[in-house]
Amino acid sequence: MRIVVLLSAGRHPATGDPCPVPVELQAIALARRIAGAGGAVEGLHAGGRDAAVLDALGHGIDGLTLVGAGAADDPLGALVAALEGRMPVLILAGRRGRGGADGGLLPYRLARALGWPIVADAIAAEFAGGETRVTQALPRGGRRAATVRGAAVITVHPAAPAPLPYVHRARLAGRVSEAAGPALISALAPEGIEMRPYRARPKLIGDVGGGGSAEARLQAVSETRDAGGRVMRHPSPDEAAVAILDFVARFRPRKA
Amino acid sequence: MSARRRDPRAERAAVVVAEAPRRRIDRTHRGGVVAHCAAVAPAAAQVVTIADPAYLVFAVAEMAGGVLSRHDRQVLGAARLLDGGGAAAVVLLAPSLPEDAGAAGADRVMVLPERDDPASLAASVAAAIGAHRPRHVVFAESADGGDLARRVAALCDEALFDAVESLSARQAIRPAAAGRAEWRAAPPRLLSIAADRIAPWRGAAHAAEPVDLPADPAMDAAMAVRLSPLPLEAATVRLDEAGFVIAAGNGVTDLAGFLDLARALGATPGASRVVCDAGALPRAMQVGASGTVLNADCYVAFGISGAPQHLQGIGTVDHVVAVNTDLHAAMIARADLAVVADAQAVLPALLALLGAEA
Ligand SMILES: Cc1cc2nc3c(=O)[nH]c(=O)nc-3n(C[C@H](O)[C@H](O)[C@H](O)COP(=O)(O)OP(=O)(O)OC[C@H]3O[C@@H](n4cnc5c(N)ncnc54)[C@H](O)[C@@H]3O)c2cc1C
Ligand SMILES: Nc1ncnc2c1ncn2[C@@H]1O[C@H](COP(=O)(O)O)[C@@H](O)[C@H]1O
Repeated sequence: MRIVVLLSAGRHPATGDPCPVPVELQAIALARRIAGAGGAVEGLHAGGRDAAVLDALGHGIDGLTLVGAGAADDPLGALVAALEGRMPVLILAGRRGRGGADGGLLPYRLARALGWPIVADAIAAEFAGGETRVTQALPRGGRRAATVRGAAVITVHPAAPAPLPYVHRARLAGRVSEAAGPALISALAPEGIEMRPYRARPKLIGDVGGGGSAEARLQAVSETRDAGGRVMRHPSPDEAAVAILDFVARFRPRKA
Repeated sequence: MSARRRDPRAERAAVVVAEAPRRRIDRTHRGGVVAHCAAVAPAAAQVVTIADPAYLVFAVAEMAGGVLSRHDRQVLGAARLLDGGGAAAVVLLAPSLPEDAGAAGADRVMVLPERDDPASLAASVAAAIGAHRPRHVVFAESADGGDLARRVAALCDEALFDAVESLSARQAIRPAAAGRAEWRAAPPRLLSIAADRIAPWRGAAHAAEPVDLPADPAMDAAMAVRLSPLPLEAATVRLDEAGFVIAAGNGVTDLAGFLDLARALGATPGASRVVCDAGALPRAMQVGASGTVLNADCYVAFGISGAPQHLQGIGTVDHVVAVNTDLHAAMIARADLAVVADAQAVLPALLALLGAEA
């Protein structure tokens, strides 16, 4: 079985240095599990010889293909061209990139261009009997099974298994094939967009809105306790158990 | 000159807030601003109707559980920010008609077909966009909302300005480049908003008239995704992801019973450092500064004193229960429900109660 993992030119969030995107390395590890012993896992990147992408060679891919970006700095055309003729069984990608637009839109556009279904946020997947079965990670540790017919594009969630350990020898010996094409200038923002250093903005706390008096708004953000700090002194074990069970009832998972 | 002359008598009168039942004075608004004691008159229960909108703004709500979530309301709030000061109509696209759609700021409601398949849901939304040509479409950047937004963007072959953290009528801002940069642009057509960034609508209620969805597009069966929920295995949920955690400290001797209780409650088990140091429970279960910082909604602590290093791990937890024999333990002070009792007696009582419930 042949699986292609899409790799992007990641940047470290603190230093801005080239650094593989963790979730894409997890995608490689997941692809290795799906492909099994005899399978091949290949990396595909639209763009130049970026250190971040080359580092992925040390994390368990059998080879890396670099294709020049298509026109207008859009990696989509280049990726489709590189895949055409040699379609893999599955295409795995990160949930979001890290260092560029970080919008996570590319896998969806690729799936549409190929006419393939797409499943997001995978932590496990298998391909059998002409079907792709994916386990999706939902918020709060929830899980969901998603099944699609035939081959699929799958984006991988950070809750997926950890990346394979880095092997420097594999990084040095890794096979890289380059197809010519214009280089991708990924640091550029699209037209009409102004780029600035990131400024952290406060999140809304409580249910604040424009209306109400200043007093009501202050109350809305300062009152988060709902139980009013109820204290039970030396209750009988059964009383305590009933009170605790009442309190936690709405946080318990519902029985399926 | 005379206009600037002070009038002490008027100033004194202006700071008087109330005469009855006793005279109250508020000097914080020195000169001029008159404080009124009477509550601001509640906005007249008037419903705003936008009969002839200049353009449309779509707000796509997820409505998990059949009601508008906090995030869904924020999506409507964001859509109202883009309505050109009441010139445009906000159309809510939702899987069912919520009762409070008007209060949340919707002028129209388009009910999407009840479907599990995200691919066909995206096709319906894209068809509605094609038929009505809204100027903006706002999605929620949640797990399923973000997926839907990207599917629609790919179908419409348009850019998505995702995870917007700041929005006004003139500008939208989103993080990019690994969180080192931010992109600013005039509000684009397709945007998704991050949770808890944009305030929900608080103005007058809008009409929320139901309107029809355009005819369903033909669906390609090959693209369909079949979804089925899997049972939540609370014991295997990562501690930092878990929503409901119960933890044991040095005051718990029967740890096997504690783990049984976690299983019976459907909670993820945790522990204090003392318990993990002793090797009684694995290190991965440690809650606190040098263990895992929780993102849970609810935390139940059995026999934990509540050392600062432990409390740091539950800083954002809203609902805390503590069981401790010591009334003066810091954990008891932190708890919303504090039970001063022997954990060794409460644990079996809880297990017995859950056993009777099953
Ligand atoms: C650098 C550093 C980092 C640390 N990081 C962490 C961390 O990440 N997480 C962490 O948890 N700790 C951490 N600690 C340790 C922390 O300071 C405390 O020592 C630890 O949290 C205490 O654990 P405890 O409450 O279980 O035990 P104790 O302090 O022994 O408290 C036991 C509590 O149980 C109560 N009790 C006793 N018997 C019963 C009974 N029968 N029924 C009910 N209650 C009973 C007692 O009244 C007491 O309040 C750190 C310490 C340092 C110095
Ligand atoms: N230039 C690229 N070449 C190959 N794959 C890419 C490229 N850019 C993004 N991807 C893939 O698409 C995912 C989402 O990227 P993005 O849409 O940039 O957030 C990444 O995790 C990669 O798997």
